[in-house]
Amino acid sequence: MTSLTGYAAVSMILFSLGAIGVVSRRNVFIIYMSIELMLNGINLFLVTFARYHFNMDGQILSIMVIAIAAAEAAIFLSVIILLFKTKKSLDTNVFTELKQETE
Amino acid sequence: MIDFVFLALSFFAVGGGVAMLINNNPIYCALGLLISVLSVAGLFALLSATFMFMVQIIVYAGAIMTIILFILMFLNIKEEDLPHEPKKNILITMGVILMIPINLLILEGVARLPDSDMSIVEEGFGGIKELGMKLYTEWLLPFELISILLLVALIGAVVLAKKREKRGTSYD
Repeated sequence: MTSLTGYAAVSMILFSLGAIGVVSRRNVFIIYMSIELMLNGINLFLVTFARYHFNMDGQILSIMVIAIAAAEAAIFLSVIILLFKTKKSLDTNVFTELKQETE
Repeated sequence: MIDFVFLALSFFAVGGGVAMLINNNPIYCALGLLISVLSVAGLFALLSATFMFMVQIIVYAGAIMTIILFILMFLNIKEEDLPHEPKKNILITMGVILMIPINLLILEGVARLPDSDMSIVEEGFGGIKELGMKLYTEWLLPFELISILLLVALIGAVVLAKKREKRGTSYD
């Protein structure tokens, strides 16, 4: 059970749940959390293959992914605060500021 | 024993992800994500990545989840602020149906790799010393680039969170 395939299955399921959340939900908070879940799945995949090959490069890559996730959290959440202050909503359909006006 | 721990941790990881996906209230979603993140930390420990286990708990479960919960409480989101999602269940079902073939393809590929011993390594792998040696010699340039990225993110967050002047006067 604790084979390569088991770990790969768990990480693929986590990644897929995150991808489904990004495309099917409309709450910006839940979209952000789904991105975090996808990053977690990828991290698990990297660490699994680091153990499989007995080589720590995968673990270092996943440390980099965690650092990027931390940077992303700071930016994303301050952007969410600004959007919520201006629009008073968390719906992604409300945020159409960049949409081009069509005649 | 290890099998049982692995099954329990993967059950909680996937269950937390599903709870995050189907709940409407962002607080429950954040708690589901927290369960999932902690279970992934446990899986890192099973893969003998002890430093990754610590980093996952400190950075993800400690820092990022705290920021998410803090901002959820700070914004004071009411029920009427939440988006109305009438087609959520249909979209999630369609997403699951679409994702199954991709998952099966990748698992088929992974299952064909030669089998290897995945048991816990006692010493000399994934610890803070070995990882530090590798990080500061072979991966020095990416490490420095990551530090610059974090600095940029810090400055960006401060600029975004700064108090705005009235529109039209700030760009003179």
